[in-house]
Amino acid sequence: MSDQTHETEHSPKTGGHSVDPQLTDDPMQEASLHVEKWEGIWIRVSVGMTVVFIAAITLAALSFGISVPGATARINPATLNDPGSPFATPGLRELAPGKYEAYMVAQTWNFLPDKLEVPVGAEVTFYITARDVVHGIKIAGTNVNMMALPGQVSTLRATFDTPGTYNYICHEYCGYVAGAPIGHHTMYGQITVLPADETAQVTTE
Amino acid sequence: MSVTSTYPEQRSAGQNNRKLILLWLGLLAIPLVAVILFAVFQPVKVVPRIGLAPGFIFTDQNGARLTNEDLRGKVVIYNFTTTSCTAPCVDSAPTMQGVQALLARLDTEGIPVKMVTISLDPERDAPQRLGEYAQRLGADPALWHFVTGAPERLKQVVGGGFGLYYKQEDDGVFEFDPMIALVDGNGILRAQYKRGLPDVDFVARDLGLIFDEVRNSTGAGGLVYEAAHLFACYATY
Repeated sequence: MSDQTHETEHSPKTGGHSVDPQLTDDPMQEASLHVEKWEGIWIRVSVGMTVVFIAAITLAALSFGISVPGATARINPATLNDPGSPFATPGLRELAPGKYEAYMVAQTWNFLPDKLEVPVGAEVTFYITARDVVHGIKIAGTNVNMMALPGQVSTLRATFDTPGTYNYICHEYCGYVAGAPIGHHTMYGQITVLPADETAQVTTE
Repeated sequence: MSVTSTYPEQRSAGQNNRKLILLWLGLLAIPLVAVILFAVFQPVKVVPRIGLAPGFIFTDQNGARLTNEDLRGKVVIYNFTTTSCTAPCVDSAPTMQGVQALLARLDTEGIPVKMVTISLDPERDAPQRLGEYAQRLGADPALWHFVTGAPERLKQVVGGGFGLYYKQEDDGVFEFDPMIALVDGNGILRAQYKRGLPDVDFVARDLGLIFDEVRNSTGAGGLVYEAAHLFACYATY
């Protein structure tokens, strides 16, 4: 260490006509370590990709308000059926015209409820928790893709602008009964988004 | 890492360059380490910003108009109920009385605080009845407002804005879960105590954190609080 300091201190004097700052332009790799041209390019590309991906994940997490499980949304799984708990009567509730909240319970091996009907254009806030083991929910065709953890309420909002059916599945392997046609693969449900004219019929009936 | 050049100038230049790079990396590492330490140890706690609180124009117990703009710059504690809320309806009024008692002994350090009870039952809860209700609860008229409005507007504000589901049954009884909400002076919803009634201690702690944030988030302190929000440095129950 002291040797290096000694040398660097010396360099301006020994440099003479070729002054030190100009010399620093000389790439260090060439002087110390020979790297093949294409290898060097690929090293830079792979490092650059890693940096871009980390930045993209960070930005996406911040801009979509994604948060890791924390103490702010805890719930005791044993109290899910208590009176007053919205998970005791899972399903869709209309908060205001066009705004809904859906309380859902994931359990082995089904979703409560496993069928939802919403009018087109509905903005639905999903609250989901698990009663027993770790489950997950992915609503195909939407951004809703959450873990359903026992003791934790996961929340995401989705707007259904296109009529049709949207299936949701458990995407976290949650076991099965050997030999029985029941288990993780039977855990799914469906959201039906009703077109505007049918919605009018439903509300007038 | 071996130096291939035999020229002494070049060798010292390469090592000089390396030192410079190390210096820059070191300088870059200082804020990075500081940020990581901040995110891990969370020296500053905040109450989350849930979203924008809804705007409203309601009528209070004196028949006067109360809007969300009147409450700007004040920390407001809301509860949602009806004057006829008796068992099995869970009434949040006792908790609000507890908060009123708390505010009487709490030093808010000049930050104005208001309490607002929003009645979900405008048909029966006319201003006069709200006034009687306020007296029954021993509410301080300068601190605590009791308001209601047209049913459609209530639905938009309470359901759509505050996110509280309620429904009038066929027998006229309102079915809803008790909820207390905190809104800060900027009109941002900071807390929704939705699952059961909160302890007054929890409300006191969250109010205290909001007061701290209002007092300390000036100048560079503001950046510290923004970082605390960014890294979700939330107080836990």
